[in-house]
Amino acid sequence: MSCILVVFFALMILAAYRLSGMIQIFAIQSFVLGFVPFFMHADHLGLRDVALAVGTMILKGALVPYILFWAIRHVSMRSEVKPLIGFGMSVICGAVLIAGAFWVSSSLKLPGKVASDLLIPCSLSTVLLGFLLMVIRTKAVTQVLGYLVMENGIFLFALSLFDVMPILIEMGILLDIFVAVFIMAIVVNHINEEFEKTQGLDKRWAKMGESL
Amino acid sequence: MLALLIIIPFISALAMFLPVRKIFRLKLLCGVSLLHLIITASFWRTLPASEFNGYLVLDALGLILLSINSVLFLAVSVFMLGYFQHEQRRNKVLTACLCFLLSTITLVSVSYHLGLLWVAVETTTLFSAPLISFHRNQQTLEATWKYLLVCSVGIALALMGTFFMAIAAHNVQTLSLPVILSNAALLSKDWLKISVIFLFVGYGCKMGLAPTHTWKPEAYGQATGMVVVLMAGGLTQCSFLALARVAQICSKAGITDFYSSILIFSGVLSLAVPALFILGERSLKRAFAFSSIEHMGLLVLGLGLGGIGIFGALFHMINNAIAKIIMFLTAGSIAQKYGSSRIEDVRGIIRYYPVTGIFLILAFFAGTGMFPFATFHSELMILNSAVSTQHWIIVGVGLAAICVMFIGTGRIVLDMVYGPTTEPVLEKKENFFMNVSILAGIVVLMIIGLWMPAHLEKVIRAAALLVAGKG
Repeated sequence: MSCILVVFFALMILAAYRLSGMIQIFAIQSFVLGFVPFFMHADHLGLRDVALAVGTMILKGALVPYILFWAIRHVSMRSEVKPLIGFGMSVICGAVLIAGAFWVSSSLKLPGKVASDLLIPCSLSTVLLGFLLMVIRTKAVTQVLGYLVMENGIFLFALSLFDVMPILIEMGILLDIFVAVFIMAIVVNHINEEFEKTQGLDKRWAKMGESL
Repeated sequence: MLALLIIIPFISALAMFLPVRKIFRLKLLCGVSLLHLIITASFWRTLPASEFNGYLVLDALGLILLSINSVLFLAVSVFMLGYFQHEQRRNKVLTACLCFLLSTITLVSVSYHLGLLWVAVETTTLFSAPLISFHRNQQTLEATWKYLLVCSVGIALALMGTFFMAIAAHNVQTLSLPVILSNAALLSKDWLKISVIFLFVGYGCKMGLAPTHTWKPEAYGQATGMVVVLMAGGLTQCSFLALARVAQICSKAGITDFYSSILIFSGVLSLAVPALFILGERSLKRAFAFSSIEHMGLLVLGLGLGGIGIFGALFHMINNAIAKIIMFLTAGSIAQKYGSSRIEDVRGIIRYYPVTGIFLILAFFAGTGMFPFATFHSELMILNSAVSTQHWIIVGVGLAAICVMFIGTGRIVLDMVYGPTTEPVLEKKENFFMNVSILAGIVVLMIIGLWMPAHLEKVIRAAALLVAGKG
């Protein structure tokens, strides 16, 4: 159930056009993602599940959106003005990708006991939607969001492989993603400052600044 | 000992944030690199024991990468002593990121768990991004953004590949490398193939193989010379180590042919694509960036062809790194002296800076694989393996690409050294520290080109056996 919710939120980000709205939806998506381990291992809940869930919620649900809000605090244009593909069209593209993901994953069989049949198609759809978001949107912050949605998709996948990865490494992965967003936000902020310094002076740069 | 090697640079990175004088940070960096090199050199006598329940292990393959990076960092830190005599910018973030990078690259060389390997490679990407935008302006920020985005997506795909590998290893229940290798027969073949594709695309992106090489000319063109040395000689080869680890698994699981065909295709593409772009290039650093794409192509090609090719590729790892010291440190020193690395602004170097001019000519020879530099031998070995396996098209494309690179780079370099003179922005005096570090690179590359020490050959051979699945 929560797997489907994750895909649904990814689709919502695709349809949203205010930057702050997109970041909020991403935060909710990450919270839902944090609940997935509880549903999957409801009968034998371990310390590991709780640690992972709490880690996901704190890092992705709270800290990452906070940093993204910090990065866009100076941006005068707070909405996605010129996407390469219209909003309606991008949702249709997203739907096609989801259908494709379900079709492909019908031929991928997981070995061993699987918690839910929906896990693979849902994670694959989320990854593809993240890709789509990165490709069709022109602002730097939206591209970071696309990357994050993609990471959420991959993470959903990782939840099915609990015993293989030691908890320390899973935490390392989470931390890495967090640092990635942190550095991306700093770069976005720098681009922003440089843009404001030279606004109107340089045509080429003005184009780049628009892509914020 | 291994953990110490990771922790020392990490602690010194934190120390860089203390409010101390600029020169102190540079000296600390030199000291840390020297200590790192000494400890690494001691591993050439006896390999250290494994640590942390077998997560950290140093084998012959890791030893090669570790030694390369140790040498690179020492050369760069000596170079920086000279560079910062004429640089007003603060070096806090730069030196701290360099130390973090040394720490994480060490982690890459010694990690024996595929998940840990991913974490380490991703961390190297993150700490190298701030280095590119050291001179903060529009172009460098654009280059940093491109690098971050392309590499992050690539690395995310590699993460997916790692998870697919975990599914393939369902019966083994771990991603620890020795366990996977010894139980390779139990891996699910279909999932393994999917995983190999994702891992290849992911780490290949980070390595800058065509067609995901697009970040390279931008990043290498905009970053300062010493940063590019570490990226071209160190970081990209970290990803090559990851690809070699995948090759290890593939040869044990008996799908070498499948993996080889991917490697060979991508290798040939990475040879051909830069050759198409080099002829129109007007900037020295970008030209060298295209040359480094070509070298990555050669590495992958050697790995794919197998046999002597693997030995050649591993030898080329070492030579490529040292050639990068010569090429990009010279380019960096010229860029600082003239305030640009474009052919219109930099001409007649030999008149004001005779030593740097000669270094640039030698860098050109080292980068294009001329005798007596060792790059000549390793390129020959890789082409030789293509001849002996009768891949005639690859031989043809390879030779043609190398010739075109030679012409394209030569055109720029010769014009810069001997062309009509332009005025530099700095004083017309050679810099001692810069020249010493470049000269050391030239001497080392020439020595291993003329005479290969028996011990070096033994280690490379051991590493080649590991990759071929016989170690």
